[in-house]
Amino acid sequence: MWKELLMSMGGRAMQASINVNSNDRQTVLVCCGTGCTANGGREVFKTFETLLKDHAEIELLPVIKATGCNGWCEKGPLVRLLPRDITYCSVAPEDVSEIIDKTLIEGILIKRLLYRDPVSKEYLSSHHQTDFYRKQHKIALRNIGEIDPGQIDDYIEREGYQALKKALQEMSGQGIINIVQAAGLRGRGGGGFPTGRKWQACKNASGEEKFIICNGDEGDPGAFMDRSILEGDPHTIIEGMILGAYAVGASRGYVYVRDEYDLAVQNLGQAINDARQRGYLGNRILGSDLTFDIEIVRGGGAFVCGEETALIASIEGRTGEPHDKYVFPTEKGLWGMPTVINNVETWANVPVIVLHGAEPFARIGTKNSKGTKVFSLVGKVVNTGLVEVPMGTTLREVIYEIGGGLLKKRSFKAVQTGGPSGGCIPASLLDLPIDFDSLTEAGSMMGSGGLIVMDDHTCMVEVARYYTNFLAGESCGKCTPCREGLRAQLEILNRICDGEGTIEDLDLLEDISVTMQEASLCALGRTAPNPVLSTLRYFREEYLTHIEERRCPAGVCRALTTFYIDPVKCTGCQVCKKHCSVNAIQGEKKEVHVIDESICIRCGECYRQCAFDAVKLRQEELR
Amino acid sequence: MKIMLNGQEREAREGETILEMCRREGIPIPTFCYYQAFGGQGACRMCMVELREEGQEQTRLVAACTYPIKSSVEIITESERIQRLRRTIVMLLARRAPDNPLMEALARTYSSPRLTAIEVEPPNCILCGLCIHACEEMGRTAIWSMFRGIDKRIGTPYDEASEDCIGCAACARICPTQAINLEEEGSTRRIWNKTFELVACQRCGKNYTTREELEYLWERTEYGKEKLCESCRKKTLAINMKSFQQ
Repeated sequence: MWKELLMSMGGRAMQASINVNSNDRQTVLVCCGTGCTANGGREVFKTFETLLKDHAEIELLPVIKATGCNGWCEKGPLVRLLPRDITYCSVAPEDVSEIIDKTLIEGILIKRLLYRDPVSKEYLSSHHQTDFYRKQHKIALRNIGEIDPGQIDDYIEREGYQALKKALQEMSGQGIINIVQAAGLRGRGGGGFPTGRKWQACKNASGEEKFIICNGDEGDPGAFMDRSILEGDPHTIIEGMILGAYAVGASRGYVYVRDEYDLAVQNLGQAINDARQRGYLGNRILGSDLTFDIEIVRGGGAFVCGEETALIASIEGRTGEPHDKYVFPTEKGLWGMPTVINNVETWANVPVIVLHGAEPFARIGTKNSKGTKVFSLVGKVVNTGLVEVPMGTTLREVIYEIGGGLLKKRSFKAVQTGGPSGGCIPASLLDLPIDFDSLTEAGSMMGSGGLIVMDDHTCMVEVARYYTNFLAGESCGKCTPCREGLRAQLEILNRICDGEGTIEDLDLLEDISVTMQEASLCALGRTAPNPVLSTLRYFREEYLTHIEERRCPAGVCRALTTFYIDPVKCTGCQVCKKHCSVNAIQGEKKEVHVIDESICIRCGECYRQCAFDAVKLRQEELR
Repeated sequence: MKIMLNGQEREAREGETILEMCRREGIPIPTFCYYQAFGGQGACRMCMVELREEGQEQTRLVAACTYPIKSSVEIITESERIQRLRRTIVMLLARRAPDNPLMEALARTYSSPRLTAIEVEPPNCILCGLCIHACEEMGRTAIWSMFRGIDKRIGTPYDEASEDCIGCAACARICPTQAINLEEEGSTRRIWNKTFELVACQRCGKNYTTREELEYLWERTEYGKEKLCESCRKKTLAINMKSFQQ
């Protein structure tokens, strides 16, 4: 039913755009999300603009739109052609004239730009036919890639601001809270706190003024879902926040955007101005009694400012440090007033829930986690990008069916979920349905939705060390357990990676972890030992191999690794030799190669590059 | 409001913190970052106690210095769980001030294992943040914390002599580990990379404060224009009182 509903939503929107553009006017959608822009999406867009001007013979020139992120960053820049729904992958500016001549004018598909299914070897004309998209359910990302974020009418065409109109005409503030509560929406920023309950607490709290905050301080390495929504569909955030303001009685809103997100600030800023001009923001919105406006605050560049009390301190102009939350921000938040803070993705879900009711949303997902979740699927996986799937989808489905499995057909070792203070989940738990509670039970967390896939060339001790190092630099340093605990853990992990660890170090790691979990001031500190604890729980033998055998089984920790070339398997292809940055590999073409261990810096590049499995790790104990 | 404190019924004032109530009741709770005049910061986490809220089965750990009592809760200030936690916190903090008598005493009390010392700036600073608060309460904010995470430390902007510093040394006096270097030689005082001329007490001749602090106090308060050290001020006041009574 929900799928049908979404299909019909998409269908209607497409219908509408055809009507508006009339006579089946062709539309070129060029993905200008962050990933595609990095790969030249803007240049493709500009080339379309320039070249199409010279085609006077085309009676009705196609409309060209720069859209937000389609999520399939691996294949970018993507170019989509409507109304035929054709998707071209990895388009370069040089391909543009061919697309215009062949596809737009003559209607012929260009095979080499189509996606080829790796299993069936079939060429697929639309991205909607690919496994990457077929298994997704888009609610928060419903408009991204379909609209030009700079055009408010594009958003309105796709049911934009309809929820707001419905709410102001037919619903009370309490009515909205009831719907959000019945939908079972939980905060998408990491905590998973029920959104309706948060709003109710704020509505019940007394204060001269109330505030709404959108938390867009996305800082997890490899996560870009908030960025994509802010860049690709800013109006859904604005509409969500207005609905929230109406529900709790707030008069001012702030969007706290990570400072590095220039395009997000730009698109959101324009969207706010456009919304003001149309009467969706400002005094007496759409003629009702609701008065609400939104301001953008650029973040100060600290990861910890994603924690809500630190974020509030940052908006107030104080140092971005958290404080104890024994009194919630819903009671005493920004400038001491009742404040609702929700994550970007949470806000993006609100208009859909209010417009279509709680029931279709609540039907998706698991018992205690409703709706969908956006994940940024990255790491050693074939299809990297942004995916939105129903809660309860298994890790295996996301990694193997949507993600297309591991790169170079390597074997899966772990998936790191939930950002730096999430945990590493092993292969034995691949069939775990992803929701807030299952991930917490597995010793990790949902966090903001990062999924980093790791293959068998990954050292789990080094992974724990990497994240601990990240957190040691990004902790605010206010409370003892987090600051000193991370420092001590980092020292121990460095020791183990250098081959100087002891068995007692593992007990110390665990002891410190417990104190960090129990005594840290904010959620950053309380979850900071997760990388250590989850790797100790699932990959303890790797720690033991580092300590007892002084060997890194993945060949990552340089102090514990030596490589050699297996003369039987080596074909003399010279790939390893070419990739060696210090010229430590000797050998003529088609002859067995040899690594000079006195020169080798043990970077492991030859080990990763060899297609014949000829570069080996010395397995015996060092020393 | 009736609450349970270590198994006994006690009276709490609504909104006061657990620490305030415990201090009033004479229950000892160790703290580094709490000071009566400023309240709690929740930074050192030494004051964590177990708390059971109404209707809850399990206890949870909360910082006594920041948790406001608002309902009939049950509080436990000593338990194995709390001991273990304090042992680890002292173990971690003592690395910053390994030879400090306070840290040594606490390490004995909680039988904290000794880890290798680390070099911090200023030496012996345990980052409790009291000096920052003292300076802020003086209305100066000459020092603040810099950087974050494991690089966090306290100092003046760019480690240069701060225009805002009046050399009052409130920071040095409040520091629990005497980490702030206060040098006095003859009629000069040196603190936070800044040298001050000291003013002598007009009664006993002792160098007792900086000219900057004195001028700051004159400007801001009704503080008498006499230059009197603390003990002479008391004595003069006592003499004046006597003559007033006669």
